[in-house]
Amino acid sequence: MILTPNILARLVAIVVGGVILQLTFFSQVALFHVSPDLLPALIVVLGLLGGSLTGAVCGFSAGLLLDCLLIVPLGGGSLVLLATGYLAGLFRERFEIHSVLVPPLLCMGLTLFAELGFGAVELMLGLDAPVSGLIVRDMLLKSIFAFFGGWAIYVGVRRALRPALVEEQTLRRNRRPSVLGT
Amino acid sequence: MYRKQVRRRRAVLALLIVGSFALLTITYRQGNDGMQRGVSTVFSPVVSVADRALKPARDMVNWFDETFDAKGRNERLHSELEVARRQAVGAKAALAENEQLRNLLGLDHSGAIPGGYTPVTGRVITRSPTEWFSDVTIDVGSGDGVEVDNPVVNGDGLVGRVAAVTGGTARVTLIVDHSSAVTAKLVPSGTQGLMKPSVGDPEDLILDFLDSEKLVGKGQSVVTSGWRAIGYESGYPPNLPIGEVVEAPLLEQEAQQQVHIKPYADLRNLDLVQVLTGGSRG
Repeated sequence: MILTPNILARLVAIVVGGVILQLTFFSQVALFHVSPDLLPALIVVLGLLGGSLTGAVCGFSAGLLLDCLLIVPLGGGSLVLLATGYLAGLFRERFEIHSVLVPPLLCMGLTLFAELGFGAVELMLGLDAPVSGLIVRDMLLKSIFAFFGGWAIYVGVRRALRPALVEEQTLRRNRRPSVLGT
Repeated sequence: MYRKQVRRRRAVLALLIVGSFALLTITYRQGNDGMQRGVSTVFSPVVSVADRALKPARDMVNWFDETFDAKGRNERLHSELEVARRQAVGAKAALAENEQLRNLLGLDHSGAIPGGYTPVTGRVITRSPTEWFSDVTIDVGSGDGVEVDNPVVNGDGLVGRVAAVTGGTARVTLIVDHSSAVTAKLVPSGTQGLMKPSVGDPEDLILDFLDSEKLVGKGQSVVTSGWRAIGYESGYPPNLPIGEVVEAPLLEQEAQQQVHIKPYADLRNLDLVQVLTGGSRG
């Protein structure tokens, strides 16, 4: 990802907008009694498009903002989301994305990872109440929502960050029409 | 160059991880009011506007969820209603049964059941389909000590007598069956007669062969007299309540020596009955 001030501003806007949208919209709607959590999917997409460092930094920032706005102990959300973003970026650096299904599937898998991570952080901080088995259902449903949401997020964020994407630049150069007749 | 990049990346990652843990350590149970308050102050107007702006969209999504939920709830409520209805019916049946048993107990304790008899409680399990004969089958039989000709009562009064018995069931011929005849007396006058049914009307029994010198009035109670009529195997113990006089026309009394009696027991809706086993056969 070619980071310019413009792209940086877009990244900040995407992260801030994503956190606010998550808190004000997705967290307050219920589909099949479960609120979708699309923030991990957003971080996965950023990691896929920008690499592990971008993913980790975006994850950390999003987590920090989330913790600040939720007024919970800072660091938990950051830790989980930075790991999520880093893993997504690592995947992009190690493997080629051949199928259009890869981003949503990765969103799904890493959302499940993030949910487990949030659980692990809570356990680490001390959980005084018994855990219901329904939480597994919730986590699975959130992952499924992330599959579908991740698809749309991938398309949207890719479009927003297109000028910064190296592969997009290459594609564009290749697509540039040649002079007629040559 | 690549190595430098990798090193830088790792350093940033390590810094972020350490930063996260540091934040957790610092803010856990202590809070970081200053930073969070600052961030909240900055973002709260944005969040507030976004919250209001997104409310219609949220409502729409939630409407879908609630619609699905309402559909599921509707089905669930239907099934719950079914269960509740079944329970209510069961409770009503239990209450009715309770009342019947209380009545039976009342009859036991009222002294109406003569000494020497052992009541065996049974439930009506079948009933004759026609008015031409009035039999019911109960779920107690010879295994419970029931014998042929045992009187059968319920909480209200006399019901009939056992006509046939098997190991676990017994057939009871009701007092409204055409073959039934009960020697009865009016209380308190003591006027005696023979009670026969009028076939087809279980609410009407005829007390016949009354002494025409003694006039009978409406509302008088009729109980078994305990004596055996010639040609009739009535064999009931004395003083079992049967019913009350509901119709006693003077002309009919004088000419035919009879009055009309309505049985106390609701013979159309029998459920629990008691067979009076043992005792001395009149």
